[in-house]
Amino acid sequence: MHRLGLIAGALGLTLLATGCGSNAGTTGNASSADGSSSMKGKTIALVGYGSSNPWGAYFNKVFTEQLTSTGVKINDMTTMDPGTQVQKFNQALAQKPDLIVLAILDTQAMVAPIKKAKAAGVPVLAVDGPTDPSVAADVMSVLSDNEVLGEYAAQNIIEGLKAQGRETGNIIVLTGTKSMLVTQDRMKGFNKVMATAPQYRVVDEQDANWDPQLSGTIAQQLLAKHGRDGVQAAYGMADYMALPIIQAAKQAGFPIGKDGLVVTSSNCFKAGIDAVKAGELYGTATEDPGTIAKQSADYTVRFLTGKKPPQSETVKEERVTAANVDQFAEQCSHA
Amino acid sequence: MTAVPVRSGISAVGLVVPLAGLAVLVGLAGTTHRFLSLDNARAILASTAFVGITAIGATLVMIAGSGVSLATSQTATVTAMFFLSTQQYGLVTAVTVAVLTGVALTALQGAVIGYWHANPIVLTIAAGFAIGGATTWFSGGTPVNPEVREFDVLNSTVLGLPVAVYVLLGVTVLAHLTLHRTTAGRQMYLVGSNRTAARAAGLPVGRVTVIAWAFFGACIALTGVFLASFNTSATVTLGGTLTLDAIAAVLVGGTAITGGRGSALQTLGGAVLIAVISDVLLLRGYSTGVQILVKGILVLAAVVAVHLRATRGRR
Repeated sequence: MHRLGLIAGALGLTLLATGCGSNAGTTGNASSADGSSSMKGKTIALVGYGSSNPWGAYFNKVFTEQLTSTGVKINDMTTMDPGTQVQKFNQALAQKPDLIVLAILDTQAMVAPIKKAKAAGVPVLAVDGPTDPSVAADVMSVLSDNEVLGEYAAQNIIEGLKAQGRETGNIIVLTGTKSMLVTQDRMKGFNKVMATAPQYRVVDEQDANWDPQLSGTIAQQLLAKHGRDGVQAAYGMADYMALPIIQAAKQAGFPIGKDGLVVTSSNCFKAGIDAVKAGELYGTATEDPGTIAKQSADYTVRFLTGKKPPQSETVKEERVTAANVDQFAEQCSHA
Repeated sequence: MTAVPVRSGISAVGLVVPLAGLAVLVGLAGTTHRFLSLDNARAILASTAFVGITAIGATLVMIAGSGVSLATSQTATVTAMFFLSTQQYGLVTAVTVAVLTGVALTALQGAVIGYWHANPIVLTIAAGFAIGGATTWFSGGTPVNPEVREFDVLNSTVLGLPVAVYVLLGVTVLAHLTLHRTTAGRQMYLVGSNRTAARAAGLPVGRVTVIAWAFFGACIALTGVFLASFNTSATVTLGGTLTLDAIAAVLVGGTAITGGRGSALQTLGGAVLIAVISDVLLLRGYSTGVQILVKGILVLAAVVAVHLRATRGRR
């Protein structure tokens, strides 16, 4: 059985090597970047989101799978606790890896550790969310385009309200943790696009801390505060925040969907995709962990094989609505 | 079985301070736009339900002198995952599986505390890590997304109120009757008042503790069921801040953390009070951070008040 697995693995690697040989894109296995042999013996410290977070779990899985064939050693130092992340980063630094791959939980708390890494000459690759601007030049990055994700959410709301023939409309917003740059960037994009449609107004914006339970509670209270005639649209920053808004609205007697409350999100999960298909969630956007994990792995290979990738890369995000949901259903269904 | 000792002797200050606080709250609420509306009352009750159900169960544990459980969120999460994973077998089966899971996990902790005198804080911290770790390990961090949605009925409303609110009321009545009309319930007060004396008097301390924790486990599981239904999927972090929210509701209700004193009705009041204050602050435009801060101050005030009452009672 063990031998069979080895043979299958070897066959798989051969197929991948030949199949991806002429593909310079980011969708294949990272070994396609022609770095397998020169990466053996190198070490990466993955100071990423913990696997208790579905987004983090799938990112870690894909990132690790993509790099397995290169022979690079990956030390799993993931966590979902910001304080523990600082400790793990410092531990990683003491091990002097060839690269620290970092998914930041607390932007401010990571400023000093990043400076320490620079002083120690250990390169850092920040993935998904940006670092504090004061240390942005000290790291490499593969970032989600959070501003665009916010823009897509605003486009969904404007499109949905216009489709209902509404000339005015009130919107409530449930954000992720407001102190995070990810949240701030999404709101920046959201507000920019909403400014183009001043007839639609944000009447309440609350910090729901990326918490589904809190999102439901706040939604119940805000919907009661503004009443059925006082809210026409809602933005929950992730699918798992938008879905509690939908349930709260249903329980409060709000119609949902085509002729009712327009609810949008800005990064997709399977439950959100199902809700888009059911006509309850107007739209969402990608920021799926698989795509960014593949691009991060590809960047890692390019860096570790001396190909000098650009200091920062941004992942292309896609807007998802009922019109194109089937196209993104698979991509969005891993978390 | 002897009757539960009724404690009285509340001082004038002990009455004036909470009444003054209540008057301030009523004043603030009455002058808050849209607070006095039927929709808002429904929203307050709806937002009380999830935490309230768990808090009612936690009341029995606290009265029985076992303090608090720090594994509540993890247990709610795992029951939610079991509930969604068994949707294809029908709603009754899925709820039964979830409740049995909650009861088994929690009663086991109660047994270790009741029969082997384990420290509840230490034990439940360990249990929380074990349950949370095992859930992450088995699920691989992947959310449970059921293909069959038998749970939709649990998101429905009756007379404008979510089903969860009726379950909260039912659980409260059941807990109240258990505490005051059953032998085990009365023994919970006695065990909580003085565990050593209860043991010396030949009371079944272990069994009483297990019953309290089993009831608590069923309540956590019901919360998990409603959380899963509301969110339509379950991730490892679904339980969120349930652990501390439930403890806060029990303490604000006036149940003594040292045991022997309190009631399910008081806890219901505590849960509603926290929801009302959060609602008033939200309607007045205060941020989530301010709401959490006020909740913390309220819990502290309640604990101090209960402690002062207990200290005076001993003099």
